[in-house]
Amino acid sequence: MPIIEVKGRKVHYQELNKGARQTVVFVHGMLGNLAVYYFRIAPLLAELFHVVLYDLKSHGLSEKVRDGYDLDSMSDDLFGLMDALSLDRVHLAGYSFGALIALKAAVRCPERIDGLAIIEGPDPSDEEPLRIMMEYSKEAFDEWLEVSGIAMGRRQLERHHQLYEYIFQGTTMQDDVQKEKEFFSGEEVAAIPHKTLLIYGKDSDCVTAGYLLGRRMKDVRLMLVNGDHHVPVQSPDMVAAALLDFFER
Amino acid sequence: MDAVMSTPSQANHEIFIVLKQFIGEVIGQEFADELEIKPASSFTRDLEMDSIEIVAFSEKVKKHFGQQINFTGWLSGMDIDQLIGLTINDIIIFIQECQSSK
Repeated sequence: MPIIEVKGRKVHYQELNKGARQTVVFVHGMLGNLAVYYFRIAPLLAELFHVVLYDLKSHGLSEKVRDGYDLDSMSDDLFGLMDALSLDRVHLAGYSFGALIALKAAVRCPERIDGLAIIEGPDPSDEEPLRIMMEYSKEAFDEWLEVSGIAMGRRQLERHHQLYEYIFQGTTMQDDVQKEKEFFSGEEVAAIPHKTLLIYGKDSDCVTAGYLLGRRMKDVRLMLVNGDHHVPVQSPDMVAAALLDFFER
Repeated sequence: MDAVMSTPSQANHEIFIVLKQFIGEVIGQEFADELEIKPASSFTRDLEMDSIEIVAFSEKVKKHFGQQINFTGWLSGMDIDQLIGLTINDIIIFIQECQSSK
C-alpha cells in the first residue's frame, strides 16, 4: 500500500494516471475513506487527469492521530501531502467533511488550487447530523441494523464500532468540529475567488447548505443529482461526469 | 502433449491460490483461517471485507497481475450492487479471460 510520511505521520494514498498534466486531489468524508472514490469516480477522472486519493488521519489505512481535526489542521495535512508529492497546484474535490476541508484549503492557499468542487458539504452550524453521529452507541447501532434488516458480519460490526468509538471518544474531533460553526456565515467563504462547482443530492438533508453556499460564494454553479447525502456512491457516473466537465474547462 | 501447458481449471486454481493468499494478507491470516474461503465466496458478505480492505486487495491484484489486466477499469464498470456481490470467482474468470486473450 502506498504510504507517505506527512509531518511525521503515515498517510495512505493512491495515485492513478501519474504523469498526466493536471492533478485532481479528492478528500473523503468523516468516518469514510478513499474507497468512496477509488472504485468508480477516480478511474473515470483518471482518463484525463492524474488522480490522488488519500485517507484522512485516523481513517482508512492512515495513522491514528488524537488531535487536529479543525479545518486549519485538516487543510494543513492536505497541503503537506501535496508538498510530499511535489504538487504545486491541483484541482480539488471534497465530499461531506472533506468538502469543508477543501473550502478551507481554498480560503488559505487559493493560489495552489485551480478548480474547486464541493460535494455534499454540510453546513457546520447545523448541529443535527453531528449530534446523531456523536450519540452513536454500539447498542443503538445494533438496534438500527436489526430494524433496517441490513446484514453485517461480526468482524465488520466490530471494525465499525471501533472506528466510531475512536473518532468520537479517542480524538478531539467533537470539540474541533464545534469550533467551525460559523464557517459558512463568515467572510472567508464569501471571499473564495475560485470558480466552484457545488454537487448536492436532490433528496439530501444537506441540500440547503448547497443553496446557502450558492448565495454566499462569488462564482458558483449548483448541480443537483439523483440521491441523498451518499451521491458519490449512489450516482458516481453523474458525479464523475460533472467533475470531468468542470475541471476540463 | 505439452507438459508445461496448464489446463484452464489448473490455471483457475492457481489464480485462486494467489487471491486467497492476498485475502489472508489483507484481513489477517488468523481471521482468514477461521473462514472457509472458496471461489464462490463474496468479498463483502462471506468474507466480511470492508471497502478499504477491498481497496488493499485490489492493489495487490493490480501489482501481481500488472499489465495483463485492466483491473481498475473493470471494477469501474460495475454498479454498487455488482461490487457488493463480487465473488472471488468473478475475478478469476476476469483474469483468466485477460490472460487467454493475450
